[in-house]
Amino acid sequence: MKNPLARNKQVGTLIALMALVCVLMLIFCPGSYFTAKNAKSMLFQFPEYGILAFGMMLCMIAGGIDLSLVGIMNLSGLTAALILLALIPEGTEASAEFTAVALIVSSVAALLVGALCGLFNGFLIGYFGIPAMLVTLCSLQLFTGLVYGITGGPAVTGMCDAFKEIANGTIAGTFVPYVLPIFVIVLLVVAFILHKTKLGREIYYLGTNRKASVFSGINTLKTSMLTYMTSGILGGVSGILITSHLNAAKSSNGTSYTLLTILIVVLGGVHPDGGKGDVVGVTLSVLLMQMISNAFTLLHISQDVKNFANGALLILVLVCVMLIRKVEEKKKAQQ
Amino acid sequence: MNRTKSKAFFTSNTMILVYVILAFSVVVALRQPAFLSPATPINLCRAGLFTFCFALCEMLVMITGGIDVSFPAIGCVSMYVPMVLYDRGILPDNGLYFVLVALLCGLIFGLLNGVLVSYLRIPSLIATLATSSIASGFLAFAFGVKDLTAMPTAFTKIYEMNLVTYTDPASGLSYPLTVLIFVPVVLAVVMALILRYTMGGRGLYAMGGNLSAARIVGFPVRRLQFTTYIVSGLITSLTAVMYVILMHNASTTALMGNEMLVIAACVVGGCSLSGGKGTIGGVLLGTLLITLVQNHLNMLGIDTRWQTLAVGIVLLFGVLMTSLQAGRGKGRV
Amino acid sequence: MGEVFVELKGIKKAYEGVYALKGIDLALRKGEIHCLAGGNGCGKSTLIKTISGVHEPTAGEIYIDGQQMNHMKPLDAIEKGIQVIYQDFAVFPNLTVAENIALNTEIKDRTKVVSYKRMRELAGKAMAQIGADLNPDARLEDLSVAGKQMVALCRAIINNPKLLILDEPTTALTAKEVQKLWGVLRNLREQNIAILLVDHKFDEIRPLVDRLTILRNGEFVSSGLISEYGHVRFQKDMTGHDFSTEKYRPEPSDEPILSVEHISSKGNYEDISFALSKGDVLGITGLLGSGRNEIAEALFGLCPAESGKIVLHGKEVKLKSIKDAVKHEIGFVPEDRLTEGLFTALPITDNTVASSLKKYVRAFGLKSFEMGENTKTWMKRLGVVAVSKDVPVSSLSGGNAQKVVLGKWLNTNPKLLVLVGPSVGMDVGAKAEIHAILRDLAQTGVGVVMVTDDLSELVENCNRILIVKDHKIIKSSDNSLSKKEIEALLMGSDQKEEEA
Repeated sequence: MKNPLARNKQVGTLIALMALVCVLMLIFCPGSYFTAKNAKSMLFQFPEYGILAFGMMLCMIAGGIDLSLVGIMNLSGLTAALILLALIPEGTEASAEFTAVALIVSSVAALLVGALCGLFNGFLIGYFGIPAMLVTLCSLQLFTGLVYGITGGPAVTGMCDAFKEIANGTIAGTFVPYVLPIFVIVLLVVAFILHKTKLGREIYYLGTNRKASVFSGINTLKTSMLTYMTSGILGGVSGILITSHLNAAKSSNGTSYTLLTILIVVLGGVHPDGGKGDVVGVTLSVLLMQMISNAFTLLHISQDVKNFANGALLILVLVCVMLIRKVEEKKKAQQ
Repeated sequence: MNRTKSKAFFTSNTMILVYVILAFSVVVALRQPAFLSPATPINLCRAGLFTFCFALCEMLVMITGGIDVSFPAIGCVSMYVPMVLYDRGILPDNGLYFVLVALLCGLIFGLLNGVLVSYLRIPSLIATLATSSIASGFLAFAFGVKDLTAMPTAFTKIYEMNLVTYTDPASGLSYPLTVLIFVPVVLAVVMALILRYTMGGRGLYAMGGNLSAARIVGFPVRRLQFTTYIVSGLITSLTAVMYVILMHNASTTALMGNEMLVIAACVVGGCSLSGGKGTIGGVLLGTLLITLVQNHLNMLGIDTRWQTLAVGIVLLFGVLMTSLQAGRGKGRV
Repeated sequence: MGEVFVELKGIKKAYEGVYALKGIDLALRKGEIHCLAGGNGCGKSTLIKTISGVHEPTAGEIYIDGQQMNHMKPLDAIEKGIQVIYQDFAVFPNLTVAENIALNTEIKDRTKVVSYKRMRELAGKAMAQIGADLNPDARLEDLSVAGKQMVALCRAIINNPKLLILDEPTTALTAKEVQKLWGVLRNLREQNIAILLVDHKFDEIRPLVDRLTILRNGEFVSSGLISEYGHVRFQKDMTGHDFSTEKYRPEPSDEPILSVEHISSKGNYEDISFALSKGDVLGITGLLGSGRNEIAEALFGLCPAESGKIVLHGKEVKLKSIKDAVKHEIGFVPEDRLTEGLFTALPITDNTVASSLKKYVRAFGLKSFEMGENTKTWMKRLGVVAVSKDVPVSSLSGGNAQKVVLGKWLNTNPKLLVLVGPSVGMDVGAKAEIHAILRDLAQTGVGVVMVTDDLSELVENCNRILIVKDHKIIKSSDNSLSKKEIEALLMGSDQKEEEA
């Protein structure tokens, strides 16, 4: 049902770029890049923003965008932190069973908050028809403002060790971080939604032509709300991960992720106008970004330059895609 | 016919803004009679100065149908680079050189935006996001993150130049209105004239209304788009210089995070995200509303920690109202 | 008849090895209105683009004013005096009438400073020349389609064109507006301008044009004075077949499908009642704004009835929203099929299942195979001509695209199908196919209601007719009316208004 040729081109470009990074690293620091330590470090890092990228992907396929994801992330993370601290105050110990229950309760709460934020976005976009860009820019302000208001400024810290384990720990005895299976589960769920459910098909329809969707009897309000609710939940998952990772919940966590997720998603083949894209491209894109990020760290390039590089990379890829398209059109015209 | 015309006027976007501004002012004044002193408009001018200038840039871009989120980053670069150069002694103690270097920065990044959007046809949101990260990344990489305060003596002199100073008899506090207020005034007037009375200006509206038709009719669309982003970059850097003068320092993060406020000021003031609409007067009112709200939440008794949220709520209402207003009279779907 | 202004000899145009034009001759004379007719895919658009310099012909010669043109670009064509008015008008909705009309001239004159006075004057001159009268300060988005078209015409006129090309100008106009446009074109003919009109509604063009050229599948079929053509020859040349125009007369049936009783919606329609039985095809017609579209929309929840009753298959139904309509198995084929009825970037399969996704839901996935199979079935039954079910709908002709929309709704097994302008923009052959499909559908027990302003379509296919005027039904008939009578009824009150 999709144009297989186009999809392969995107996938091909991404794999080529990944190969390029490997080659360059072979030249510059073969010693440290191709080690188990580096691989392990990569596995810890990409799920956090990779899951967020899936949320952005869903919204963009639906023809919108979610600029408030980072805000949802922080608000959910804060929720988890506060509930956890209420159940297991800082410095206290608790039994393993109680800890488990506390973790579950706080995580569910975080996901609920994420879902509510998403529903809020989806309702405004779907019911009033306000452009997604505007709504989510606004709600970013709202959610961040909520976090700031509740925390009063300083970060909320002191969560129990078990919480920190979520993002920083590995499955007993192996080198597999907990976050990796979480990422894989999210990946499978999102892929399932997009390709195997009615909602997924409706998301593609909505992103392709909103008017025609309405006239075809598709409940665009429901689709919109479910799409943003899902991305909100994904934001919640990321929120739990980042709060656990940094052991701190504050309004300024992860602000660079907004640009990063858009970059990842566009690189991964999602068209800003909607109706196109899927998990394979986005996953490869996430991995590519992680490979580049690690390469930068090992080459002792600072974090700030990464920002610069992300912007430059986005432009580079878009230019390449455009050039390829132009070459194709020329070929067609000559035939 | 006349009744419908005046009804349309009184329910127009502009008038609704006026009502809201008045309503808000009344509420604040009731709670805090101090609001009604001449200090208030002076404060508003000071506070809204930067927002308004940025809003002018944003308006230009929005009229052509695009959106610009790179102006905070461009502003930061434009204020920081000359500061660093001056700090290291590369620039002499001359305000003019400072301004020129700043404008150069604005020009370069405006050019980048222009190339991305008009030649590479990248959607403006993504293009300006990319420029934003390139600008801020470049800054941190090249110069680190120190806050700087040393600036040319000329600037200190300008800082002391005030158009009018109001001294509150009760508290003895003085509220100076800087002479730099002329800059946005002149900018606004010039822009209004250009937008209304030059082909270039009409071209911007045409592009926002129907891009392909603008090409067919003969507007130099690429050139216009390019120019828009360059001008926007230049005004941004000018605003950054004013920031340095008035705030007495430059940092790499001072202006960041303002995107929403400025875009909201434009949207609330009548600019459409899809382009082709927007007036200086509307943007002025939008900026006024936002500045008013931002700076008087204290007077309404809202704690500092909740002010970000409060502003967000006001923005939400503004956006909702404008969208509903725009949707009225159009088709059902 | 004047001198030849533009002459095409043996024009061929190929895209990727496929010939869109296979050797066309055409002569356009000054002071003459020439109509170019043909079905979808006949090459009309390509020919226009060739004349206006957008495309370069693969073979053949173009002569403008006796001079052979090689490698002509659009600007060259404009300089030679050729102006094209496309279907979407290329106007600026956010600018005023005066600006829209005058901007092109201002740009050509390289004016830097805008004088609103001068633009209004230019606009006024153009409007006078044409005979249009619009408020120069009105915003274009507030005008009707006819108004926008007038503005596009004024803009073209201002450039003193020698040849004016209009591509399907009447698609979105009411009968009255068409007459007004025809008046304008006659006016321009007096001014010795050559006019090329692309239109395939024979009754419409007959009173206006001087000459007719018919194309089919990129080939030249015939050309001559309009007097040499009649209905039969026109249809035959257009489609290559003879078509009977017998009227639809189903067996009377007493299985009621739909009963609409006294529904009203303020400002849209008043006290509307009608009934449909098995086999009936109901046609609703009226002038634009009479409420005819709204009545159809009432059946789909788009313009819900505020009072009255709608009974479908014996059960009363409340149609307050599209959701209700779909729940009660009602389908709707909108007028603007490309933006409202189809997902043009998506394949035929996706379009076909868009309204019936529920059918394919499984515990752990969607029944993709069945989706494909159902699509193939509909494509065969409706005669959709396409390479495969996986090509995007954007590659289909108007008639085939409409069949996909029909397939979408038929896949939901509807009880009632409402169509607005079911064959607008289609050539005669495609129209006949759609009509046959609808007639068969009615015979199988699906209620068919269509809104149309094509009186031939109305009279031939609808055995029940409703004529709507000023939001009310002024005549309801079981097709004992002729086209002339219907026309008279529609225009009737207008005459009264003019006299008053």
